[in-house]
Amino acid sequence: MLRTYDRFVAPPRDTATSNAGDGVIGAKDRPSNLTGASDQDVVASAVRGHETAFRELVRRYERPVFSLLYRMVRDRALAEDLAQETFIKVLNGLASYRPEFKFSSWIFKVANNVAIDQLRKRGVDTVSMDGAPDATTPDARAASALQLSGHGEDPLQEVEARELGTAIERAIGRLRPEYRRCIVLRHVEGHSYDEIAQMLDLPLGTVKTYIHRARNELRGYLEDRRA
Amino acid sequence: MCEPLDQHLNPDEIELWALGLLPAARALHLAECAACLTAAERERKLFRELAQLERFAPSAGFVDRVIARVQIPARTV
Repeated sequence: MLRTYDRFVAPPRDTATSNAGDGVIGAKDRPSNLTGASDQDVVASAVRGHETAFRELVRRYERPVFSLLYRMVRDRALAEDLAQETFIKVLNGLASYRPEFKFSSWIFKVANNVAIDQLRKRGVDTVSMDGAPDATTPDARAASALQLSGHGEDPLQEVEARELGTAIERAIGRLRPEYRRCIVLRHVEGHSYDEIAQMLDLPLGTVKTYIHRARNELRGYLEDRRA
Repeated sequence: MCEPLDQHLNPDEIELWALGLLPAARALHLAECAACLTAAERERKLFRELAQLERFAPSAGFVDRVIARVQIPARTV
């Protein structure tokens, strides 16, 4: 019998089929009988005990899930730990997955909960590469900023600095976490407002407000930089 | 219901235009209104920048590390 997790969440209500992983996986890496299969079909195969189906689900979603978490916590090693935790929760709970719901919405919902738990543990509202937005002095801002460059970085930190160092990534890093996850789900992952509301357990109007505010803030950050 | 041509686009309509989904009848307003056109073009520029963001990959061996910790049920078929 599969374990039940205390943070396990029911799949959100949605009827569409996801192709989120398409384009991410090389055809040579896919078991031939799963190539082109819907997420629901792959899940059904996994529930019947096919390890290849479990692997296929991880391959389809490892990049989108890891990317969301990386942008949330802005620490590659931590994001990878959280991505693992997300997949383990979802895959060990597959027996309760209901195929009329969208698998991608479910896995992003679990990932979001995992990220929120982690941010709560760290006791921070936001992690900014430019310093806390509410810092009132340049010194306070510098003290709260993540270092993107400079001496003493190990190779992993340098990779992170490069990956997240573009203007748009820096601007995203300055957003409040709830704005950040909404904007990534909408404009990077391409989910609809309804799907995001289901994933994050938020009213539709709140999601729209967050995304509109996030876009305004992003434009402001980017225009400040250009000026 | 038809919107008058001189009625400014709301944020939802600007988003639809930036995504190429705004009905032509409403998009005509942009030819007449510099303020809406500026706002819409700024929105479209931001959307393009966001859409180009990378999807990061976890380190090599991620799939194996996950599978090692998953309880795969006994095969039934």
